[in-house]
Amino acid sequence: MTDIGDKAREDFFSEAQEIIESLSRDLLLLDTAAHSGAVDPDLVNEVFRHVHTLKGLSGLFNATRLGTLSHELENLLDDLRMGRVQLSGDLLDLLFRAVEMYGRLLAAEKGGEQAAGVDEFDPFMLEIQKSGTRRAVQSPTLAYDLDPGMLAVLTEYEEHRLRNNIQRGLKLYRVRVVFDLATIDAGLESLKSRLKALGEILTYLPTGTGADAESIEIDILLASHESLDSLKAAIEAQGIRIDEVPKRATEGPGPSPDRMHSELAPESIAIASVAPEAPLKSSSDMPMQHKSLSDRAVAVRGPDASLRSVAQTVRVDIQKLDHLMSLLGEMAILKGMLGRLADKTRHEPGQRETASELARLHHTFDRQLSAMQGGILEVRMVPLGQVFEKLARVVRQLSRELDKDANLIITGAETEVDKLIVEDLSDPLMHMVRNALDHGIEARQERAKVGKPAVATIALNAFQKGNQVVVEVEDDGRGVDDHALVKAALSSGILSPEEAQEISRHDALGLLFMPGVTTRKDVGKHSGRGVGMDVVKTNIARLGGVVDAQSEPGIGTKFTITLPITLAIIGALLVDVAGGIFAVPLSSVQEAVTVDPSSVRLIEGREVVTLRGESLPLCRLDVAFQVRDVEESLARPGKMVIVIASASARRCGFVVDRILGRQDIVIKALGGPLKALRGFAGATELGDERVGLVIDTPFLIEEALAVSTRAGVVAHA
Amino acid sequence: MPDRSASRGGALARAKGKDRGPLREFLAFKLGGEIYAIEIHRIGAILKVPPITPVPRAPEGVMGIISVRGKVVAVIDLRVKLQLPRLALSRQSRILFVPVDDGETVGLFVEEVLQVYRLSTDEIEPPGNALGSDAGEHVIGLGRQQGALIVLMDLTSILKRREAS
Repeated sequence: MTDIGDKAREDFFSEAQEIIESLSRDLLLLDTAAHSGAVDPDLVNEVFRHVHTLKGLSGLFNATRLGTLSHELENLLDDLRMGRVQLSGDLLDLLFRAVEMYGRLLAAEKGGEQAAGVDEFDPFMLEIQKSGTRRAVQSPTLAYDLDPGMLAVLTEYEEHRLRNNIQRGLKLYRVRVVFDLATIDAGLESLKSRLKALGEILTYLPTGTGADAESIEIDILLASHESLDSLKAAIEAQGIRIDEVPKRATEGPGPSPDRMHSELAPESIAIASVAPEAPLKSSSDMPMQHKSLSDRAVAVRGPDASLRSVAQTVRVDIQKLDHLMSLLGEMAILKGMLGRLADKTRHEPGQRETASELARLHHTFDRQLSAMQGGILEVRMVPLGQVFEKLARVVRQLSRELDKDANLIITGAETEVDKLIVEDLSDPLMHMVRNALDHGIEARQERAKVGKPAVATIALNAFQKGNQVVVEVEDDGRGVDDHALVKAALSSGILSPEEAQEISRHDALGLLFMPGVTTRKDVGKHSGRGVGMDVVKTNIARLGGVVDAQSEPGIGTKFTITLPITLAIIGALLVDVAGGIFAVPLSSVQEAVTVDPSSVRLIEGREVVTLRGESLPLCRLDVAFQVRDVEESLARPGKMVIVIASASARRCGFVVDRILGRQDIVIKALGGPLKALRGFAGATELGDERVGLVIDTPFLIEEALAVSTRAGVVAHA
Repeated sequence: MPDRSASRGGALARAKGKDRGPLREFLAFKLGGEIYAIEIHRIGAILKVPPITPVPRAPEGVMGIISVRGKVVAVIDLRVKLQLPRLALSRQSRILFVPVDDGETVGLFVEEVLQVYRLSTDEIEPPGNALGSDAGEHVIGLGRQQGALIVLMDLTSILKRREAS
């Protein structure tokens, strides 16, 4: 594959990834449709088409295993399309597993190495081949008096659709239209779209008779619920003739309708019941029997087979957007300098005109810059639905493996978040959903005993709240046993016996996120080793977010994740701590106040002030950052400046020297020897070559309130 | 910015004799008043010292962070690791930028950049026991040029040790 450029390969990977995602999406739709009993044949066609495209791509890039998988799937899906195999829960399982396999193969292809699970490849191929075991195709026992000439040229798929429609009791119509050769493209398309609203176009063929050299007559076979009269009223026009295809006198009992047997659906369901659109067929595998049909007409047949890409989109590496954002940050610094210059000039005598000119420039620059910032941010935004779809697949698969019935209800899939955040959110969310199914949702019998609905509900809700996004993972399972949690924390030494006595329910639930705490005795395949929720918390914290748990025993559990919409550029409050400049993300700042040192009280060795009747624990940042010791900090004269910060319902007052102002900042990660440093979310440029550290508010709050450091600050005082 | 010293080194090498076997190029600099050198191909750039922002709670030996061309770079003070006296920042002080793994860069603080030495392999003596054991681990060898003794540092080793600690 060395002859293919890296760029092209990159494109291949991202395109294949996109197709696999669409495939997964359509399979989920198919799954839902199978449950509700109305499977759109076009959906099956769409799935078929994804696989077909993947096969083509794989061939192009010499990705043999991807190609083989696509080839086998294509056969299987073709059988499905033709009604030779039934759409069952097992078959859907197989297809979902194929999606997983695609993902692994793609990863292996990309990494140029053996990815985990790829050795299952050969057995999986055999399984697919076996599932495709064909039923004998029934010969059409048609009760209609169709032109044998027409029947002879039906493709297998068209025949299948014809039988299916007849079984469902639809009437057959023959629509005969004469088109001018010059306008056949547009004419046929418009007629087709009008007919699709009325029924399913089974096939259309030129008759080869009765037309002069300048025109062509076409026969359309239409299946419809409508009566002949209403059809006539709807489409009859000059050059269009509609006849009902008469039923034969010797009408026997039709073949039993196509049924699907499914463990998922209680009753059997016919595969196809709604078919508003014509079968999708690429023109290449549709041999045209009538030579008289021009190439143009063939092109009309497969409008979807066009080589033009449908979407007007470009794929962009997120790093390029990061670079743009970085440039924008530098421009923001320039803007600040321009502003300062404008201010300075204003006070110069005789510079009045220049000053107002500069002020105007500064103002315009500011506006344009915000617009540009908005534009770049918008490009980075993707809907959370991208992750949710993956989760739907997980729920489906896991609920079958665990033999638990669960519905995944998704709201707010359109909520948009920065692409990087979405990427890093999928693992934590997956973990939480798995936990909900495995631990939260009770076994069938247990649910029946307490009178809960047999089908459990897991809800994924996303919504925007100010400049943050909230994602909730909710289940209607048994809830978290906080007593068991406390006991587990006690036995692993996380809590002392006294602390265990006093702990509130909310704090007890917080133990869920401590490493090594599990209430589960058996370690399951899916979760339950007590690692996990702490990792979830750490991962979410890395995104600048917080996770919180609520639970009612017997009713359910809800995890709430609050995330910033973007990390690329954020509003921040700049503060001075012992001469150093630090940025506090505005999303975590409630307000800033000054208090008299005399109003500070000591409660359990911690400094606390009372504000509007609520007590607020304090954290001296100079002490926390080890730039002053406690005595020095306490000896500072004057009022205390306090920035009140919050994270997941916890509040803390950061004591700072001075508040410098508000600024939009671009956060840069700390790397190299500082990668493991906790307490800072990164650094940002402030202009004039200065750099400020961005405070990791949730971490510092938690640290300040942590039991272990309780005595820390004021022990010396 | 490495140009000045590089060309000086180049001229030096040209002035000297040829046929000394394969040459390795080292950039010499001062740390704690002594002369150290690292292989020049490891150095991405040399910059004057911008304001360094100290980082609270950073591991010892990290002077702080600076911003260079849109990137935030941690500056390492090798004198801590090598247990050398810390001389004050001067106009000669520089930061050497060394790309490390994953596209990241660290800055190495040096007191003064001296020149480029081209040493053939037979001009490099193996590190004997002359050096203290701690520093000895991070030394490729000793170079001798016109009577001066240059300690050739093993950059990979010294940076790795830093991350482990």
